[in-house]
Amino acid sequence: MNFEAVIGLEIHVEMRTKSKMFSAAPDGFSHDPNTEIAPLDMAFPGTMPVVNKQAVINAIRVANALHMTIDHTLYFDRKNYFYSDLPKGFQITQQARPIGKDGYVMIKVPGGEKKIRIERIHMEEDTCKQEHFMDYTLLDYNRAGVPLVEIVSLPDLRNGTEAMEYAEAIRNIVVYSGTSDGKMEEGSLRCDTNVSIRPCGQEEFGTKVEIKNINSFKNIEAAIDYEIDRQSRLLLSGDPVVQETRRYDEASGKTIRMRLKSDAVDYKYFCEPNITPIKLSDEFVDEAIKTCPELYDAKEKRYLMAGLSQSDADILLSDPEMAAYFEEGMPLVKAPKDLANFLIVEINSYLNKETKAIAELPLKPATLAEIVMMQETGGLSHKQCADILAKVLLNPQLSPEKAKEELHIVAQVSDSGAIMGFINAVLAANPQSIVDFKAGKDRALGFLVGQVMKASHGKVNPAEVSRLLKEELDKRQS
Amino acid sequence: MNYIDLSLKELHEALVAKKVTPLMLTEEALKRAHENKDNAFEYLDDEGAMAFAKTLTEPEKDNPLWGIPYFAKDNFSTKGIPTTASSNILNGYVPVFDATVVAKLKAVKAVMIGKTTLDELAMGGTGTTGHLGKTYNPYDPKHERMIGGSSCGSAAAVSASVAPFALGSDTGDSVRKPACYAGLVGMKPTWGRISRYGLFPFAPSLDHVGYFTRDVYASAVLLDVLAGRDNRDATSSAKPIDRYEEDLNKPVKGMKIAVLKMVTDSVKDEEIKKHFYASVEALKKQGVEVDYVEFGKDLLESLYATYIVISCAEATSNDANLDGIKFGPYKGGKTYQEVMFNARTAGFSELIKRRFVIGSYCLMRENQEELFLRAQRNRAKIVERVNEILKDHDFILALSAPSIAPLFTQASDKLSDEYLIADNHLCLGNFAGLPSISLPLGYEKGMPYGVNFMGRAFEEKKLFQMSSAYEAITGLAETSALDPKEAKL
Amino acid sequence: MKTITMDVLKDAANRLLFTMSDEQYKTLYEEFGVLTKQMEKIGEIKGLEAYAPMTFPFDCSTTYLREDVAEEPLKREDALKNAGNKQDEQIKLPKVVL
Repeated sequence: MNFEAVIGLEIHVEMRTKSKMFSAAPDGFSHDPNTEIAPLDMAFPGTMPVVNKQAVINAIRVANALHMTIDHTLYFDRKNYFYSDLPKGFQITQQARPIGKDGYVMIKVPGGEKKIRIERIHMEEDTCKQEHFMDYTLLDYNRAGVPLVEIVSLPDLRNGTEAMEYAEAIRNIVVYSGTSDGKMEEGSLRCDTNVSIRPCGQEEFGTKVEIKNINSFKNIEAAIDYEIDRQSRLLLSGDPVVQETRRYDEASGKTIRMRLKSDAVDYKYFCEPNITPIKLSDEFVDEAIKTCPELYDAKEKRYLMAGLSQSDADILLSDPEMAAYFEEGMPLVKAPKDLANFLIVEINSYLNKETKAIAELPLKPATLAEIVMMQETGGLSHKQCADILAKVLLNPQLSPEKAKEELHIVAQVSDSGAIMGFINAVLAANPQSIVDFKAGKDRALGFLVGQVMKASHGKVNPAEVSRLLKEELDKRQS
Repeated sequence: MNYIDLSLKELHEALVAKKVTPLMLTEEALKRAHENKDNAFEYLDDEGAMAFAKTLTEPEKDNPLWGIPYFAKDNFSTKGIPTTASSNILNGYVPVFDATVVAKLKAVKAVMIGKTTLDELAMGGTGTTGHLGKTYNPYDPKHERMIGGSSCGSAAAVSASVAPFALGSDTGDSVRKPACYAGLVGMKPTWGRISRYGLFPFAPSLDHVGYFTRDVYASAVLLDVLAGRDNRDATSSAKPIDRYEEDLNKPVKGMKIAVLKMVTDSVKDEEIKKHFYASVEALKKQGVEVDYVEFGKDLLESLYATYIVISCAEATSNDANLDGIKFGPYKGGKTYQEVMFNARTAGFSELIKRRFVIGSYCLMRENQEELFLRAQRNRAKIVERVNEILKDHDFILALSAPSIAPLFTQASDKLSDEYLIADNHLCLGNFAGLPSISLPLGYEKGMPYGVNFMGRAFEEKKLFQMSSAYEAITGLAETSALDPKEAKL
Repeated sequence: MKTITMDVLKDAANRLLFTMSDEQYKTLYEEFGVLTKQMEKIGEIKGLEAYAPMTFPFDCSTTYLREDVAEEPLKREDALKNAGNKQDEQIKLPKVVL
């Protein structure tokens, strides 16, 4: 029997705003416990929620990027339950009237694209952080009240890879819109998923299993794939899938039961009486959308149009700070591809070795662009520029010009006359290669170019050499 | 007779003339508070009040509240001063911030003497359910009659002339009913007119900051200070505030009043009814138009249930933060659930627990439509009716209560079948969020009784204007248990 | 609507994380009897479906949103000084089992 998996994802995103969702305490700057608390976050009696404007702007931007219908009036509800990390005994959320609904995102699938529909996006607040020890737990209220958006997809996903792509697409939107860091390992993006399977062709959904505790994008794929397999085996052996909550155990690669799903918890939702409805004018919503920083997809298009390869674009865009660095240097070079090249190879290698992030790079984009230009129009070879770059990275006070001087680097010879001199000498010394080239052996050209480079001590422009060599070889008779 | 027994206006004049100082007033208030036998106080801040009063040496002529002592109901957050909402679950809780109204009063140099008792967590109407036990009515030295609630302590403090005014809160009638039983002016303005930041919530959609004074003038000038937008309370109104004493004692000719016929008719006490009608006639003599209006029997009979459902449901949620973990007595336990369970079982009184179960039950998924949402729909219908009446009338008038303060033996906090429309109509002011003021009318057996005016949203100035006319008719301005004035009617 | 029984009431109380004496449960059960009758008064009001459930007494919608500026937070000692069980600058609970 063939099964089809039906998967939905619920993603919680921590917003990186300056203050919290409903209180003006600072949001997420300190790792010192219980130092970022307003009275509301501790749920002291008499404290009241006041909605954060930037959180609303962020939510609007994300909703818009997801093609959602945006509600121009904000309503909030209370979700009532008791838990150690919930100071008020309820969470303020948007149950009845989410700020956005009925949207979608396109993900890449083999053969093209697939539309994943999104049911809703709403704002809510985060809970305390709990640190568990042997026989006690410590509560840190810094995180209590941090703004969240929750994005709920419809069950349009069909396998672990699609789910991972979807989550990454969401991550890209929240990161590039300036809403969040989107880091699963740090908890600023959290993913829960519901997985069920049904025999192919059946309309009715199978029993849903919820999976929590997934802490990386790769693990989304792994957890779901495992779960699909687990459920398939169950059904094939005649056992039912039990409705439950499971957690993904990275070490074993398995999902493990956390608790059986009893009757869904009754949260007794009702309208939050301390927040009167907030009307968002058309101008406010339009302005929020207009001022949204450029998103991933738009940047990707731009980079590709500027001549970058897909893989280069992917690498740069995987780190928004790298992308920002790249964009600052883009207008200062002839071909952005060259700049991308330096970033992806030399700069990345440097950052990895020094375990630094690009924010700590002791080199401004303009300076790197200067070095790139030396290759593009200054007649230097890539290797020469790489050497200059390495020296400048070691001595950030050194300008590229100074570094070039100190390294005694001289522009490559591009004068065709000079190059022809080397070419003729090499051809004279390697008659067999001419024969090989004429016989169609591609290697021969490369060999000859190499010989010319050797003879000229690397001081000629290899592209020029190749061009002129070919011309000359074509002229000669076999 | 002491300066502290003067009307607020006269007291201010005496302060400006330096005939008396804030320190003297504070000392007198503290003395009376310590000697008071009505069990009205949770906490007396001798040290803080005296220290603050000592700093007030130069009277501010244009500040009617300068140096005036007052009390705050113990459900207002007061920085550094224990605040318990008269519940054991908050024993020892010392807030780290002031409620906005407390901060405003401090800014105009009023002197907070201490905190007063209330029905636990403001959920009650008898003044008997606070953790310190019954609060008594200063008008009844035999201590047989209640003062009502939930703002029992504040009402007692002002009617015993311990201080000229006291803050209370009003969710169903918790300022205006005890005001009636204690011969006071009890004011509840429009919803959102006064910031609730720092007021422990009972049912936010019904909660109002209110207060007690002994005359209308004091009530009006107090609103000047307390009213206004507060960005820390998202429900507080941005509508500009008024000078609320501006139209006091101006003619009320041409104003229109709707008397709730059924409420008045259902009152059995003929003496009280007689005086009520006499006061209405007196208003008519001043050119006020009076209509006797049918509200609607079904709606009136549904008020109490609607109030219980909505208020208990919201309260259950609001008080879910009381778990002994962040504040309040920590009772220990083997799991976090046990920790919360032990604190809440020990800390809440039985009445509160019953109310919470009712509230929770009404919000349950299977019941919510039929109970909670239905009550909210009924509220909409009730409010529509109120506003309909107020389209053609400036005020709605009714007796605040059908009788003088009941005997303790007469009243119970259990839900009872005995339903008196005349006892349960004040919540109209909370459902509709409209400004509503209780004013004394007369005495029976030496115990006060009074009336209630309700006006249109944000028309407090007009409400005070009518109130001053009514006050002149009854002659009961400044009446107190220490020195009851003679009723003119 | 859920039928009211002693068990339902006890369960409701437990979910609210407290319990009462047997006598109090009995009182509560009686109160529910009263309340149910009172609720019938609401049930008799005609045409309620035409009204939206009311949370706010009048149109008090606003456009106000708080500017995203961080304010001075509470001093840690103030935030924690009312807590009955603390350790290492945090509030302490028995181990919370997930």
